[in-house]
Amino acid sequence: MKKSLITTTTALAVAVGALAGCSNSNSDTPSSDGAAAAGGVTTISYGLWDSNQLPAYQQCATDFAAANPQYKVDVEQIGWDDYWSKITTGFVSGDNYDVFTSHVAFYPEFQKNGQVLPLDDYIARDNVDMSIYQDGLVNLWKGPDGLQYGLPKDFDTVALFYNAQMTDAAGYTKEDLSKLTWNPEDGGTYEKLIAHLTIDKSGVRGDEAGFDKENVDTYGLWMENAGGADGQTQWTFLTASLGWTQTDGAWATTYNYDDPSFAETIGWWYGLVEKGYMPSFAAQEGVSWADQLIAGKAALVPNGSWMTGYVFGAVSDTFTPGVAATPAGPDGESWSMFNGLADNISVTTKHPDASWEWVKYLGSAACQDVVADAAVVFPAISTSTDKAVAAFEAKGVDVTAFTQHVDNGTTVLYPITDYKSDVNAIMSPAMEAIMSGSAGTDSLKKANEQVNQLFQ
Amino acid sequence: MAKMPLTASQGRTAKGSRRYGQLAPAVLFLLPALVGFLVFFAWPAVRGLYLSFTDYNLLSSPEFIGIKNYQDIVSDTVFWRSMAVTLQYVAINIVFQTVAALFLAVMLHKFTQSMLIRGIVMLPYLIANVVVALVWYWLADYNLGLINSSLDAIGLDRIGFFGDDQWAMITIAMVNVWRHLGYTSLLIFAGLQAIPEDVYEAAAVDGAGAWRAFRSITLPLLRPVLAFVLVITVVGSFQIFDTIAVTTQGGPVDATNAITYYIYSRAFTRFDFGYASALSVILMLILAAIALIQMRVLRAGQSDLER
Amino acid sequence: MSLINHTPAMRRANESRFRTALRGIPRVLGWTSIAVVIFGTLFPFYWMIRTALSNNRAMFSDPLSLLAVDPTLGAIKRVLGLSSTADALAEGGSVGSINFTQFLINSLIVCTLITVFQVMLSSMAAYAFALLKWRGRDTVFAIFLVALLVPGMFTLLPNFLLVRDLGLLDSYLGIALPSMFFSPFVVFFLRQFFLGVNRQFIEAATIDGAGQWRIFSRIALPIVWPQIITISVLQFIFYWNDYLWPLLVAQSDNSTLLTVGLGIFRSQTPQGSPDWAGLMAGSVIAAIPVFILILVFGRRIVGSIQSSGVK
Repeated sequence: MKKSLITTTTALAVAVGALAGCSNSNSDTPSSDGAAAAGGVTTISYGLWDSNQLPAYQQCATDFAAANPQYKVDVEQIGWDDYWSKITTGFVSGDNYDVFTSHVAFYPEFQKNGQVLPLDDYIARDNVDMSIYQDGLVNLWKGPDGLQYGLPKDFDTVALFYNAQMTDAAGYTKEDLSKLTWNPEDGGTYEKLIAHLTIDKSGVRGDEAGFDKENVDTYGLWMENAGGADGQTQWTFLTASLGWTQTDGAWATTYNYDDPSFAETIGWWYGLVEKGYMPSFAAQEGVSWADQLIAGKAALVPNGSWMTGYVFGAVSDTFTPGVAATPAGPDGESWSMFNGLADNISVTTKHPDASWEWVKYLGSAACQDVVADAAVVFPAISTSTDKAVAAFEAKGVDVTAFTQHVDNGTTVLYPITDYKSDVNAIMSPAMEAIMSGSAGTDSLKKANEQVNQLFQ
Repeated sequence: MAKMPLTASQGRTAKGSRRYGQLAPAVLFLLPALVGFLVFFAWPAVRGLYLSFTDYNLLSSPEFIGIKNYQDIVSDTVFWRSMAVTLQYVAINIVFQTVAALFLAVMLHKFTQSMLIRGIVMLPYLIANVVVALVWYWLADYNLGLINSSLDAIGLDRIGFFGDDQWAMITIAMVNVWRHLGYTSLLIFAGLQAIPEDVYEAAAVDGAGAWRAFRSITLPLLRPVLAFVLVITVVGSFQIFDTIAVTTQGGPVDATNAITYYIYSRAFTRFDFGYASALSVILMLILAAIALIQMRVLRAGQSDLER
Repeated sequence: MSLINHTPAMRRANESRFRTALRGIPRVLGWTSIAVVIFGTLFPFYWMIRTALSNNRAMFSDPLSLLAVDPTLGAIKRVLGLSSTADALAEGGSVGSINFTQFLINSLIVCTLITVFQVMLSSMAAYAFALLKWRGRDTVFAIFLVALLVPGMFTLLPNFLLVRDLGLLDSYLGIALPSMFFSPFVVFFLRQFFLGVNRQFIEAATIDGAGQWRIFSRIALPIVWPQIITISVLQFIFYWNDYLWPLLVAQSDNSTLLTVGLGIFRSQTPQGSPDWAGLMAGSVIAAIPVFILILVFGRRIVGSIQSSGVK
C-alpha cells in the first residue's frame, strides 16, 4: 500500500511538473517584447505605486491607446513598500518597466548609474513646451549633468490636517487657523494652539492649571516619526522660515544639519514632548498618523497633500477633517517643502520611442487633466492644477492651504544629492535618538560630520 | 520468517565494498540533492563570497577592492549594534520558543487526544509573517491597541511595545514566538511520537513518577530532535527579517536593526551589495561556529534509540 | 507481548497505562497552560476576522471595539475581486484589483511542486546520510549543513540572476526551482528520524537480498512516514506564505502567488495606511487552503502512532 502511494505521488508530481512547464511556455513573454504581437502594436509597461491614482492613469492609458492605435500601455501598480525593490531588481535583471513613476529621493542613484534615459533630444525634437509646468518642478528633474530626466507630472506640499470638531470646541475659527505664527523661542500662536488642543484624561487642557502631562488623552500635535534626513512633513516648514535648508541647492556635496537654526527648531519640537503636547517617540510608533487623527488621539498633524483623499474621506461622528496652512515663521511667511514626481524611462526599454510618446502624453494636459479630475494629487501643469483645485472643491475640500505656497513662492525644494539612502541611514537613527530623549541636539554636529564624509 | 541463502557476489556484500562502503547507492540517492546544492547554494554562495571583496552597487559592474569591506565592518558601530540586538533577539526567542514548545508538546502529548486542540495550536503558522506582524502592530499600538488599553484599565503604565527602544526587540521576539510556538511544538511532537511506549511502560513498572520519566526517558530520547530543533531555531532566529521589515524597519534608533535586516538595507536600499555580501559571509561564519558547537555538545548525530 | 499497536483496542490499553504513570503532574497545571495557549492563539484570529468584516474607513472611529465596526462584506469582496472601484473607495479600501482565482491556482501549483519534489529528493538524501555507510559521509553531510547556514539574503540575488538567465522569470518553475531539489532543513530533519529506525529491520532485509532502493521504499520510508507527512505539510505552509522571492520572480498575474497578491492591501503610499480590512480578509481567506490541508492530514500528523518495535 505504501509503495503504491509513493508511486502515485511520484507520478502526480511528475504530471504537475510537466503541466507547470507546459502551461507557462506560452505565457512567459515579458511585457516589453521586441517584435510585438498582432498588427504591430507595441506594448509599453508602466509602473506606479499609488492605488488611489490607478484609475486616473488607466484612463490615460486608454485615451493614449485610442489616440495612438499603434501603442498599448500596460499599467501595473505595486504598493510603495515593494515598489522600489521591484524597480531595482528590474534594473539588475535587465528587464524593467519601460516607464515608471519616479521619486527624487531614488532617481539620483539610477541616474548616476545610467539606468534612466535623458529626454533632451526628444524634447527638442518635439518642441515640448516646458513653461507650462509650475515653477521649480522642471529643475527638480535635471541631473547633475544638466540633462532632463523627466517631465513633471505632479507636485505636493505640506499643510496642517486637523480635526475641526476639536478646534471648534477649543474656540478656534478657520480664520484663526489660517493666521498661525511660530518662532523657535516660545512657539508663537502655533504652540498656544497645540497646548490648548491637548486634553488630558480628566479633561484639563494643556494650557490650564492641573494639566497632567503623564495622562494625555488627545495630543495637540502628533509626531509622525522623527523625520529622518528630510523632515518633509515634520519640520522643514518651520526651518524654512528661519532661512535654513538641508543643502545649499541641488546636487550639493555638504549638508547643514550642524546649523544652530536647525538645532533650535528640533529643540523646540522635542520640547513639545516634554510638555506633554506631543506623544513621545515610543508612543507614536504604530498605527499611522492619519488613523490616530481619525480616532481622536491627535488634534493636529502636518502632512502631505497626497493624503487629502484619505483624511477627508473618513468623516465620522467624532471626526470632521480640516486643513490649514502651515504657521508663519519669524520672517512673516508660511512655508512648505515642495516635491514633484516625474516619470523616468528605463535604460532597459526596447521601445525608447514608444516610451517617449507615453511620457510626453503623461506630461501633457490631456492626461494631467484626467488626473486633476480624480482629485487625488495636484498635477504639475498650471492649468491642470487649477482643475484639480476645482475638483477638490466639488468634493467639499478647500485646498488653498496647499496651493498657496506655489502661488506665493514660499516653497523649499526636496533635497537632491548623491548618496541619499546613506544620508538617511545616518540621520534617521540620529533624529530618533533626539526625539526619544536619549540624545541632545548637540549630537547633530556629529551626525552632520558623518554625512559630509560620504561625499569625500 | 524463512531465511534465504546469502547470494554472494565478488567481494561485494549488501553492505557494499570494503573500501568505499555503500558509496555507489549513496551517490544515486544523493544526486538530485547534490545538483540542487551545487547550483542553488554553492554557486551563489561562491559568487556572493566574491562580491564581498568588491564594491558593487547592483547597477554597474563590481569593482574589486580587496578586504576593504571587512575592514569597514570592524569599525562600523552600526554593525556591532546590529550583532548585539540580534543576539538579544536570539536569546529571548530561543529560551521562550524552545522551552515553551517543549512544555506545550509534552502537555499536548499527555493531556489530550483532541485533534482540535492540536490543530488550533498550529493556526498561527498558517498566516503569513507579514500579516502576523501587522496584526500585532495594531494590537500593541500605544494609543489604539487593545493590549495597552487593558494595561491602562488595570492601572498599569502603557508600554511602547514597538516604539520604545528597550522594548522593541523583545516585542519582535514575542511576536515570532506566537507565530512559531505551534510549529516548533509540532516538530518536538514528532519526536515524542517516535519514542516507543515500551520504554515508558518499563519505567512505570519500576515505579517512576512523571517528572522522573520526563527527565530520564523523554529528554534523553528526544535529544536528537531537540538538538535539531535548537539548531534550526537558532539559525532561523539569526535570520529574522519579515517582522522587522513590516513594523519597525530597524528602528527605533537601530534597536531592531537585526543583522539580516541590516544586510537587506545595505543591499537593496543603499545599493551597497559588496558590503552586504561581506556582512553575509561574517554571519555565515558565526552561524557555522554556533551550529558546530551545538551539534558537538548535544551529540545530535547519535540516537540513543539505536538498538 | 507485542508492543506494536495493531488495533485501536491495544492502542487504548497502552495509552491508559501510560497515563497512569503520570498521575504525578497536576492536571490543573496542564490544562491551565493549554487554555492560556489556546486563548492567546485564537484571540488575534478573532481580531483578524472582526477586522475583515469591518468597514475600513469607519474602523478607527472605534478602534477598540471588540465587534466588527460597521459590519460589511466589502473587504471580502475586494479580496475576491468582486468589488467595484467606487465601492472600494467609499470604504477607504484599496482600489487595485486582485485576480484571486488565478493567484490561488498559482500558489497551489507552485507549492505542491516544491513540496513534493523537495521532500522526495530530500528524503533520499537523508536516507543516504543516515542509513548508508560510506566514506566521507559525515564530511559531506557537514557541507550540506552549511547550506542551512547560508542567509537567504545572500543567495537571493545570485539566484535571481540565475533564474533570469535560464529564462524562467515569471514562471512556476522559476519560483520553484531553487527550492525543488532539496532543503537542508528537511534533510536534517528526516535524517534524525532515519537514525532512529531500528537497524534490525534493515539488516533483516539486507540478508533477504533486498537492494537499497527496496530497503528505502519498503522499510525505511514507511517507518518514518508520519514524519514525512508532517514535514511536507510544514514545508507547504512555508512556501505558501513566502513573500520576497515570489515577489521578485513574478512579473505578471501569471505567476503571482496569493500571499504576494495580497500585498496590494499593504500601504500604497509613503505615510499611508494598509487597507486593514482587506488585508485581514485576504489573509484569512488565503489561510483556508492550508487549513484544509491540515484537516486532511491532521490525523497523520498529530495522531499517536508508534513507529518502532521488535518482532
